Amino acid sequence: MSVGDGQEHDELRQVVREFLRQRSPSREVRRLMEAGEGRDAEVWAMLTGQLGLSGIAVPVRYGGAGYGPVELGIVVEEMGRALLVAPYFSTVVLAGQALAASGDEDAMARWLPGIADGSLTAALAVAEEAGSWDLADLTTAAEPAGGGWTVSGSKLYVVDGHTADLLLVVARTPDGHGVFAVEGDAAGVERARLDALDLTRPLASVTLREVRAVPLTIGGGTAAWLAEVTDLVLAALAAEQLGGAARCLELSVEYAKVREQFGRPIGSFQAVKHKCATLFLEVESGRSAVSQATEAVAGRAPDASLTAALAYIHCSAAFTHAAKECIQIHGGIGYTWEHDAHLYLRRAKTSELFLGPPGRHRARLAALAGI
Amino acid sequence: MTMERQAPVAAAETETDEAFRARLREFFTARHPGRKPNDPRDRAAWTKAWLATLFDNGYAGPGWPGEFGGMELPFARQVIYQEELARARVPGPLGAGLNIAAPTIIKYGTQDQKRRWLPPMLRGDMVWAQGYSEPEAGSDLPSLRTTARRDGDEYLVNGQKVWTSHAGDADVFFALVRTGTRESRQQGITYLVIDAHAPGVQVRPLRDLTGGHLFAEVFFDDVRVPVADRIGEENGGWPLARTSLGHERAAGALNQAAMYRRVLTELEELARERGQLADPLVRDRLVDLEIRVRIIRYNAKRTIADILATGEAGATSSVSRLLITAFEQDIHEFAVDMLGPAGLLARTAPQAVQRSRWLLGFLRTRASTIGAGTREIQLNTVAEQVLGLPHDPGLPAR
Repeated sequence: MSVGDGQEHDELRQVVREFLRQRSPSREVRRLMEAGEGRDAEVWAMLTGQLGLSGIAVPVRYGGAGYGPVELGIVVEEMGRALLVAPYFSTVVLAGQALAASGDEDAMARWLPGIADGSLTAALAVAEEAGSWDLADLTTAAEPAGGGWTVSGSKLYVVDGHTADLLLVVARTPDGHGVFAVEGDAAGVERARLDALDLTRPLASVTLREVRAVPLTIGGGTAAWLAEVTDLVLAALAAEQLGGAARCLELSVEYAKVREQFGRPIGSFQAVKHKCATLFLEVESGRSAVSQATEAVAGRAPDASLTAALAYIHCSAAFTHAAKECIQIHGGIGYTWEHDAHLYLRRAKTSELFLGPPGRHRARLAALAGI
Repeated sequence: MTMERQAPVAAAETETDEAFRARLREFFTARHPGRKPNDPRDRAAWTKAWLATLFDNGYAGPGWPGEFGGMELPFARQVIYQEELARARVPGPLGAGLNIAAPTIIKYGTQDQKRRWLPPMLRGDMVWAQGYSEPEAGSDLPSLRTTARRDGDEYLVNGQKVWTSHAGDADVFFALVRTGTRESRQQGITYLVIDAHAPGVQVRPLRDLTGGHLFAEVFFDDVRVPVADRIGEENGGWPLARTSLGHERAAGALNQAAMYRRVLTELEELARERGQLADPLVRDRLVDLEIRVRIIRYNAKRTIADILATGEAGATSSVSRLLITAFEQDIHEFAVDMLGPAGLLARTAPQAVQRSRWLLGFLRTRASTIGAGTREIQLNTVAEQVLGLPHDPGLPAR
């Protein structure tokens, strides 16, 4: 697959959308969800192999396609629309970009090719009980031991942390904070899926007791690494939220056109129209913000952090709003387990909160904007 | 009325975008008319002088045909023009002619009409005001009742228009009048250009809720309008009323985005000066406005990028106005809230903050979601024309 800009981006979007329409329709999402499985092996193999989507943002020298945040944004937007159940966000968006941002040649050469070809899944473990990505809030500690390192501590809200082959763990060290790679099934690793809101994307707890770890970066570079990873993740997450919000609007509009009450489609009532039109404003604004953000992050523009945070904050609110209105517009049907509206609401609220409460993100944006 | 002017600047075809931008910037700076006068009458003269300066030097009407005094710029250059215009903080247009009537005249007017009307409108010598709304025809404009009865080479116009901005300064009204039966709705409406100084025209200023007199009621009592001043066919006026010229409005949205960027920066400065930035509630509200003002710009940029890439304005074009009007209401109200009791002080109070600009804006922007189509009607339009939701079967057809 070749992508670059304009028309190729449209083609990429169409390919991914069509694939997900065929291979990840609602009944598949529900099958995996009810079975508690994180993916369908065949779909994952096609997605990572034939379509090459797991390598889209991995540098060419590590087996990837060498594209960046813009193309990745298109892919995750489509996955967000479809609520794809797969370890893509954890492996590619979080861990893959975190590995690439580390600049650690050995680590990249060792693990990125596996991410690119789909043979390796990975997770990024930053937050702990405080639920924040602030280094100051972290207590997990790494210590030198026998020529290597060990890591001990408890991580929370780790996307796909209970199944990932590889864990990237942020920890304190005697020389400042560091990022460490840990095998998912290494001795001393205890992990479990958390019983949480989002049923299509698991969160896990990961407890580490003197687990052997490989350092990627230690000391002053860690804060810069985390800042870059944050920008990359927020821009991609905003794109995913945009996809979900757009889908909620679509479902609402489709239903409002056909559902009749009082002898006419409910979409002919102004109250319903205004809800839909308002969502449209928010979705289109989100689309503008996401393209601004992914381009700024891709180009390492001076305002990359600001635009990524802005897109994430806007799309968080827009997605949650769209999911709630989707339920409201569907009425009783929207409140049933069988309707997908609640799956979007669960994803929306989770993606709004799992990186910390909205107020913190807004306060961070204020600082970035010089307010 | 002077009609001499320089050759259109578009003639310099070899000029780069950068050089074009630099030339505009230099002109707008060198010829800047100075600060906006307080008195509304002085303000009209200030605006007219600036419009004449633009016209006489070939810097007026970026999207207009050169034949009628415009610059005839390609769209990408119009964008640059709007960016520089916003940056220069020069007076905007006077009356509704340039934005609303001109596109209709350019597209549907006869050659004679274009020659008679366009250059003086562009130069600010002839102020145009809109005569669409009536006391009984607001959102339901197709129910309008002002009549025009054909009498030889003239129409006899009778009726009343309302909410006409700049009616006091107006030299002409561009109006929608009924030439069909009362029930004919859209099929019986004609577009007429009516001399504001003709016998039988009476302008009665309306005091708006700010205390000002920006608009007026306009009464027509057997006003004679030459048939030559009709645009389009008799009973064919309705489709002409909302003509836009190319993508001028998309470029204009960028201008507005730049203006509100500046206004928000000024509000942030005010909060800083008053030591209120430490208040997390104030910061949170400012962040909200910051997000919105940037998104307004991103939307405008995206619309423009779509136009440049595909020739079509795309989905964002219909959202700009809804976002901007809500934003301008909210920023002024928040500013007043932030100031607390000091926000209540009006212009002549010695303790008034920044000559009560925020309070005045709070009042003035109540009109933002009413004029030129209420917010409710615009949301309906988005719902029906963009999302494809069904028209209300209880209402007359569009």
